[in-house]
This record gives sequence, structure tokens and C-alpha cells, in this order.
Amino acid sequence: MRSLDQLFEHSSRSLARRTSRRSLLAGLGQILTGAALLPLLPIDRSGRALAADAKPKAAGPESCDYWKYCAIDGFLCACCGGTSTSCPPGAAPSPITWIGTCHNPGDGRDYIVSYNDCCGKTSCGDCECNRNEREKPTYRPSRNNDLNWCMANADSNYHCSVSVILGVAEK
Amino acid sequence: MFAQAAPAPLAAEHLTVEKLPPKTPHWIYVFDASFDNEIDMRLRLFDGDTYRRLGQIDAGFMPGINLSPDGTQSVVATTYFARGSRGTRTDVVEFSDNTTLTPLGEIVLPNKRAMTAPNLFNVAYSEDGHFVYAAYITPAASFGVLDPANKKVLGEIDTAGCVLVIPSGPNRVSSLCESGRLLTVTLNPDGHESSRAMSEPFFDADADPVFVQGIASEHGYAFLSYLGEVHEIDLSGAQPVFAPVWPLVSPAEKGHWRLGGTQVGALHRALHRLYVPMHQGGEGSHKEGGTEIWVFDTRSHKRLARWAFQSAGLARILAVQVSQDPAPLLFAADSAANVAVIDALSGHVKHIEKHLGQTPWMMLNP
Repeated sequence: MRSLDQLFEHSSRSLARRTSRRSLLAGLGQILTGAALLPLLPIDRSGRALAADAKPKAAGPESCDYWKYCAIDGFLCACCGGTSTSCPPGAAPSPITWIGTCHNPGDGRDYIVSYNDCCGKTSCGDCECNRNEREKPTYRPSRNNDLNWCMANADSNYHCSVSVILGVAEK
Repeated sequence: MFAQAAPAPLAAEHLTVEKLPPKTPHWIYVFDASFDNEIDMRLRLFDGDTYRRLGQIDAGFMPGINLSPDGTQSVVATTYFARGSRGTRTDVVEFSDNTTLTPLGEIVLPNKRAMTAPNLFNVAYSEDGHFVYAAYITPAASFGVLDPANKKVLGEIDTAGCVLVIPSGPNRVSSLCESGRLLTVTLNPDGHESSRAMSEPFFDADADPVFVQGIASEHGYAFLSYLGEVHEIDLSGAQPVFAPVWPLVSPAEKGHWRLGGTQVGALHRALHRLYVPMHQGGEGSHKEGGTEIWVFDTRSHKRLARWAFQSAGLARILAVQVSQDPAPLLFAADSAANVAVIDALSGHVKHIEKHLGQTPWMMLNP
């Protein structure tokens, strides 16, 4: 049986799952006017997105809204004993990965990031994050976050996910 | 004062094992992805008439799941670790008797099984039940051909980067390719490749990819795209036949209203009614659940209804399935793990089953 606390936590995470992307887009819409982003903008006009503009500071690595996490579907290692670039103690990084491009509102640049999974322990279960910018289905595996990227590890259980900057995306 | 006579004591009880009642078209197998503890996923059997939870089939870690063509068996392609969450990995296909929910046997696979989000094509039966196909992604793509009667692996077939096992006929397997094509491999009676053919592209993975969560149609499957195009594929012949593409959204709605979730459509094949969870959102919102379910006639391509369920207590709808009988039930699983039982003709919510598992992400009809 789940406790009420667990249920509340779950529904809160579900809410975060539904709203985090809007918050991010609100931020992007405020900062960027690039033509490439125009297809993203209609959602920015919603009242909820505008309300999110009032957030006092940028989200950090323990938040799904953190800019580097724009296509993570899993648990944030930063909430599980690791950071946005390190696995929690005792977990092993996946050598294979999927790749995305995320916009850093702090410096106005787009970055290519590698989303690695950390492996060998069961699901962390904290800080569920489900963002899917430019995410593609399984037939394009290098852009897919549904696959268990621990698949090639000796211990292929999925624990959590990180986002590691590979470099600035060329315009 | 007279003491009241004490009631007779309760009779001694006998511990038994419940037997399933005869199946009905309103049973539904609800796949719980147990997202917070993924080594312990399961299929729950639920009765849409009595609202009873009838039983469970265990499903291990990120499984593929499916039912046999006659509905008598379930197949789970899954992974176990020798020490629970760690240790030696064993990939295995397990069969269960759907009348008793007990295991019937297994086939151990090479450790190549596709570990991915639920869809109908991670593991699948041939139309006659003679073969079972298991999708492999290592991330190199291939599939295993299995003999469920003799519990044997018959072979492995490379798919040149195309993924998943879309079954058709007694001996054909199609896979989705990044190029937007469909690779179809035909097998000989031994389960080995006899021929293969690549279709023309039927979608553009850059401009408008299709969800891999295909929907069983009368002669094949329908695949829905991120932007709301319907690609119906007839797989009844040796070569796939692609019907003209039609849209779920008007030009004004396109890009603003999108489908999304984990099981993005359900089709009543005899009534030609397609149910799709829809939401307002932009690029990247393809896993957000629907705030509404839109109903379409797949012959006229007309939208018949828009149903909103928030006032009935549903959160965002991630998965839909519809029974195939003349008085159909629509099942809608939401992001708070509720499963709604809905009259599929009127949209009337008959019941909301609270917390049917942890993360119910796909549903199968018996």
C-alpha cells in the first residue's frame, strides 16, 4: 500500500512532468527570437507559460527545468547522489548514449549534450524528468530517450540520467 | 438484566486459489511500467464491467508484452538480473496461461533484447501463432525468431538498422527504418529469411516522425505522426500497401493541437472509430498526455467528437484502448495512474479505477 505521502509525491511529480516543459518554453520565448525557434513559440502564449516567467532564478541541476535536461526522460542523477555530469557512487556510466541540443539561456548559446544513463542499480525514483525537445522515436536511436542506454553495460539496470556538454552547437 | 445471546461464531475458512471467470470482451490487460522500480513491471488484468482487479502477470525489467492471436496466452520478453537489481543478465521470453495466469514455459534469448518503452512490436506473434518474434537492439538492430511450441530460438535476422517486429501473415516481419521506409522480411518454414524488401518512404523522420506505438487495424496497422497525420498500412499482402495519408487536425490546429502519451491511439475495427488523446502543445510535447480524446471515423476521416475528462477527475491521458465488441468500452489511463472506463459510443465515464498500478502506460485487449 502506498502512503498518502507517497501518493502526494507521485501526483506532484506528475504535475511537474506536465508543467516543466511549459516553464522552459516560457523562458526560451522570452529570450530568443531566432527563426529556428518559431515553431516552438505558440505554446509560449498560454497563460500558464506567462505565469512561469515570474520565476526568480534559473533552475539548477536538481530541477527538471535545468537547461541541459531538454531531452531527458528518466531520473536526474543530481538528485540521486551524483550531479548533472557524474553518476551516483557505485553506479556505472553507460558508454553509449543519445545526443541532443539544448539552449543555455545563461549565455545564449546552443550546446550539444550527451545524455548518458548511470547503470547497475535499480531506478533511483527521485526527480523524475520527462522532456523531449527534438526527441525522435526508436528508429533514430541516437536521438531517442526511450531506450535503456545501459543496454551495453555489464550491469544493464537503469538507475538515473546525466547531461554532459560536448561542445557549442554550430549555427 | 438478560444478556443478549452471542451471535454464532464465524465458520472456519478454507484457503483457496481463485479461478478466473470466463473472459469477456471487456477485460483489459493493463501494463504497469512501475517506473520508480523498473525491475518489477507487471501486467494487471482488469474487468471493465465489474471493475475488479482479476490478477497479475509479472513482467520483469522493461519488457515487451503481447497476447497470442487466440488470446489464450500472454508473452513477456524481459530481463532478469541474478541478484535482483544486479548480477548476471538473463533475457528471456516467458509464456503465461491466460485462463490461470500461471507460467507455461520460457525461451532464453541472447542478451540483445530491445529494452524500451512499451509498444506492440517489442515482442509479437505471427498471425497463426507458429512464430514469436523478439526485437533486438544492442544498439545494432535485429530480431529473434522463436518457436513457441517447442520453446526454441530458431535464429536471428539482421534488419540493417531498422527496428521492432511488426508481424503480418504467418511468416512476415516488418521493421521501421530511420529513412521512413518499412523493411519486410519473409521467413521460410524453418524461421529463416527467405526474402526481404524495402518499401518506399512513407514518412519523414525529420519533418514529422511517426510514433512507434502502432494501432492494430483490419488489415495491418495505423501509425500516427507527431503532427497528427494518419498512416494506414495494409500488411495483408506480400508487400505493404500505404493508404492515402489523412490528418487528425485542421490546418489551423496543426502544430498547436498534438497527440501524445505512451499509447497514442485505439481503433474499434468494426465501427471504424479511432480514439486519440490530444493536447495543446508544441515541439517536444509528444509524451504529454491528452487533455481530450478526439474520436474519428477512419472511413470518412471526419472528427466525430471531442471529449474532455478533467471534470470527471482524470489527469492527462497517456494511454487508450477500446474493446472490439458492439457495446465497446474505451479505457483511458492517465498520468496519475487512474484508468477510466468510458462508454466508447457516448463518451460517458462509467467508472474511474484509482491507482491501477504505478504507471499504467499500455493496455491490451484479450
